[in-house]
Amino acid sequence: MNKRSPAFATLQHGLLAAMCVLAVFPLYWMLISSFKNEAEIFTSSLVPMKPIWNNYRYAFEQMPIFRMMFNSFAVAALMTVFQLATSLLAAYALVRWRFRGQTLIFALLSLTWLIPYQSIMIPNYVLVNDMGLNETLIGVVLPFAVSTFAILSLYQSFQSFPRVLIEAACIDGQSDFGILTNLILPNIKSTVASLGIILFLNGWNEYLWPMLITRKMENSPIQIGLKLFVNSDTNMWGSLMAATTVSCIPILLIYIALQRQIVDSFVRYGVK
Amino acid sequence: MSQSMESPALPPLAGTVPRARPAVSRRALLARRLKPYLYLLPAVVLLGIWMYRPLLYTFYLAFQKWSMIPGTDPIYVGLDNFARLFRNEAFADSIGNTVFYTVGMLPFSILIPLLLASVTDGMSGRAKNVYRAIFFVPMILAPVSVGAIWRWLFHPSNGLVNLVLMKLDAIRQPIAYFSDPDWAKWIILFITGWKMIGFSTLMFSSALTGINREYYEAAAIDGAGRFRTFLRITVPLVSPMILFMLTMSILFASQSTFAYIDILTAGGPYGSSTNVYYEMYKYAFGNLNVGFSAAASLVFFVVFGVIALGLNGLSRRLSFYDN
Repeated sequence: MNKRSPAFATLQHGLLAAMCVLAVFPLYWMLISSFKNEAEIFTSSLVPMKPIWNNYRYAFEQMPIFRMMFNSFAVAALMTVFQLATSLLAAYALVRWRFRGQTLIFALLSLTWLIPYQSIMIPNYVLVNDMGLNETLIGVVLPFAVSTFAILSLYQSFQSFPRVLIEAACIDGQSDFGILTNLILPNIKSTVASLGIILFLNGWNEYLWPMLITRKMENSPIQIGLKLFVNSDTNMWGSLMAATTVSCIPILLIYIALQRQIVDSFVRYGVK
Repeated sequence: MSQSMESPALPPLAGTVPRARPAVSRRALLARRLKPYLYLLPAVVLLGIWMYRPLLYTFYLAFQKWSMIPGTDPIYVGLDNFARLFRNEAFADSIGNTVFYTVGMLPFSILIPLLLASVTDGMSGRAKNVYRAIFFVPMILAPVSVGAIWRWLFHPSNGLVNLVLMKLDAIRQPIAYFSDPDWAKWIILFITGWKMIGFSTLMFSSALTGINREYYEAAAIDGAGRFRTFLRITVPLVSPMILFMLTMSILFASQSTFAYIDILTAGGPYGSSTNVYYEMYKYAFGNLNVGFSAAASLVFFVVFGVIALGLNGLSRRLSFYDN
């Protein structure tokens, strides 16, 4: 290893500390702004002298925050469940059997990486409209019920599963579906869980599509409601930051609780 | 295994019981052959409905004029949308900005993360994990929350950034970051990059962990300096990851700026911060000019497709793997 001089090490930590401040300070500023009163909000003081709850009260009066949080949870959870279900089945088929059209299926899966949502939003919007699913959660979830990212990620995990075990189960007379649910799944639980975390975060952070489908606050995920709030009340910075804080809390709590798993799962799978 | 070669009627099963029963009913045979498709059905049907049908439909709409208003039908206009698209100055500007964002993201997705990753690489496990966990925080936050926070920090009259800059006497007048055409796109680039750094750092860190320590020891014995070691050993060995991040960055830069453009500037002032994806959105849902938006989609689907193919070929030729 390189010999390291103390000066260099200090410089290193200084640089990293600066980066940490840059990464986290905006969150800190959000938090303390949400507790500042009207006189203080426009100053650069780093701690609120007289912390108040009014900003939160106002934000909760102006927006159905609990309702929107529930919407966000429902959307993210449903997307995760649907995507895991469809991709487990698909990835299993791709690993287990060799069949005609397999190459075509891989090509179709890989090609979706090149399709930005903007080039399919119009037909999908028209279809969801025609189905009468506007302003509904299911209308938000449906186009995201399958994820090629999830299929290809699981395909990779499945491939490393020892084939001998599958063969043995086959000889024991296990059904094909039984092999998936009783043999493979219990053994790759943690892999599926970490994929699930990424899918949940993706669902929670989805922006363009929920914005097109839900225009009323009570139907929309918190992200969209927050955007409507930002655009309506441009000078209520205290309560805007209160609302933003509330919108970040669930994700931050999840991150604090599952920090290691989240970081690991991003390393393992990358992003969509 | 060899059994499957002898029965071409069956899908060759990778890892199944050698089938000793010669007489299987036709129905059972068919069921066996259909099985893989059955498992794939939900995914393929959903992809068909929500990905490929709309993609083809968008290509069709590129040659039509339509306002999406229920009860009206698309009218065929030939190449008219494309002709008008290429004459449209706002669209030309948005292409320029798209290039700006794509190139501008590279320091945030490759250069800075690679440096941060190699700086943290030599540290003890604990310090390394703490730094990485903190760098990663912006990545998990939702774009709207991030947009709201930075909007407040960059607020023209009362934002912290201006307050501090004024106090330091760096500026005389507060800067209107979001309504000044010289600033808007830089701020959006900065915010998108700020969110990206943590993720890229993490990816490079994991790539670095895989490097054999002996290379560094050998380099140290040969008297190679820190910078030289980085350039000659680290960079070539993480080159597959560099190319991977390059592809991701180019493909997704324009998509990840979308939310911030929408929240912070709506593409303005005077279209100075918009990009092609935001223009597509505006044509379709702002001006209700669906054909125009679809034509732009088609053009950029092809452009990004060509770029992705090129990068794919490049990564096959250039990547250096340590065996």
